[in-house]
Amino acid sequence: MHAVSDEARRRRCAPWRTGGLGAFLLAFATLAGAAPPDFTGIWRTYRGAGPFGTDFRASRLEDPPFTEEARRKVAEYRALVEPAGDTPGAFCLGTGMPGSMLGSGAYPMEIIQRPEQITIIYEAHTEVRRIYMDGRKVDPRDIVPSRNGFSVGRWEGDTLVVETTALKEAVDQSTAHSDQAHIVERYRLSKEADGRKVLTAEMTMTDPRFYTRPVVLTKRWQAAEEGAMMMHYECNEPQWLDHLDGLREAAARQE
Amino acid sequence: MKHPGSVWAVLAASLAVLMAAPAGAHHSAAQFDFSTPVTLTGKVKRIRMANPHMRLVLEITDDKRGTRDVEFEGHSLNNFYRSGWRPDMIKVGDRIELRVAPRRDGEDGGYVTGVKTADGQEFGTGTTQRDAESGR
Repeated sequence: MHAVSDEARRRRCAPWRTGGLGAFLLAFATLAGAAPPDFTGIWRTYRGAGPFGTDFRASRLEDPPFTEEARRKVAEYRALVEPAGDTPGAFCLGTGMPGSMLGSGAYPMEIIQRPEQITIIYEAHTEVRRIYMDGRKVDPRDIVPSRNGFSVGRWEGDTLVVETTALKEAVDQSTAHSDQAHIVERYRLSKEADGRKVLTAEMTMTDPRFYTRPVVLTKRWQAAEEGAMMMHYECNEPQWLDHLDGLREAAARQE
Repeated sequence: MKHPGSVWAVLAASLAVLMAAPAGAHHSAAQFDFSTPVTLTGKVKRIRMANPHMRLVLEITDDKRGTRDVEFEGHSLNNFYRSGWRPDMIKVGDRIELRVAPRRDGEDGGYVTGVKTADGQEFGTGTTQRDAESGR
């Protein structure tokens, strides 16, 4: 084995030799001064210093600055579901943004970071968000609105900035919003004094139809312990099994 | 639910509810009293560890209401797994102990937050109403 000279190593690692998009991104990162931090991994509930480790939820939206329209729609929705206590989750439906992000941690989330795309999988209801980092522009008319919307991201130094649009109106989550909601999340890594790796997201939601001013909430996670695993979140299966039981009973009656 | 074996009637009723509203047999967390947990012992008639909530039918005997099958729901499969539950820890016919947030209306049933299995293994968590309410 020949020792690789420093010069050869530099040439081999030079960004223009890696080709295509990767070269562009690497060159960009080099120009920007440093590669972005890596958020890849499993993240779970941040446990605070309180007596029960209670400082782990997203900050709460107390007295939301609803517009009249939002107040009316949310009140109407609550009057419908409160008698039976119905929730989307009980119907095996995910929360959608921003609830999927704010609520995660009680069940872990996994981040898979590639230069051109960051994928977030929330274990609860297997909600998935794809954050496009490649600078793509998509005509809004080509995007089907959904509960988790359409997200693009960029690095501002070591902060990941994610913008989400194309959301459906959602009164069925604690942070209700209209289809005009525009959500910006700013993610940063930090380290606690005890060595824990912490991920913090500051979320700002602007929604002139539902809120008289932008809403700001903060959410924190800590890196899951070594070897932690995400689980499947099978939720509709009991319904299916009940259905099969029904078919079996019907078949038995026919015999 | 006073007749032995009426579990099937209960399940048939549940099935009717499920057909009317998918997964709609879930109950409001608000109807359970999480501040005064109780411990109940009985024989497992049926168990389905599932998300978002587990379901369990337990045959319970006490002086007040005699012997009957009582239906419970509780934490999710994933939550119970992370607090120590593993497949086959509970089998139909086992005598187990439940930690339950009882129904506020005093009727049978409740929300299961912890279990002690037939051979003494324990799993479960303390819980908050918000965890149960979130349906997650």
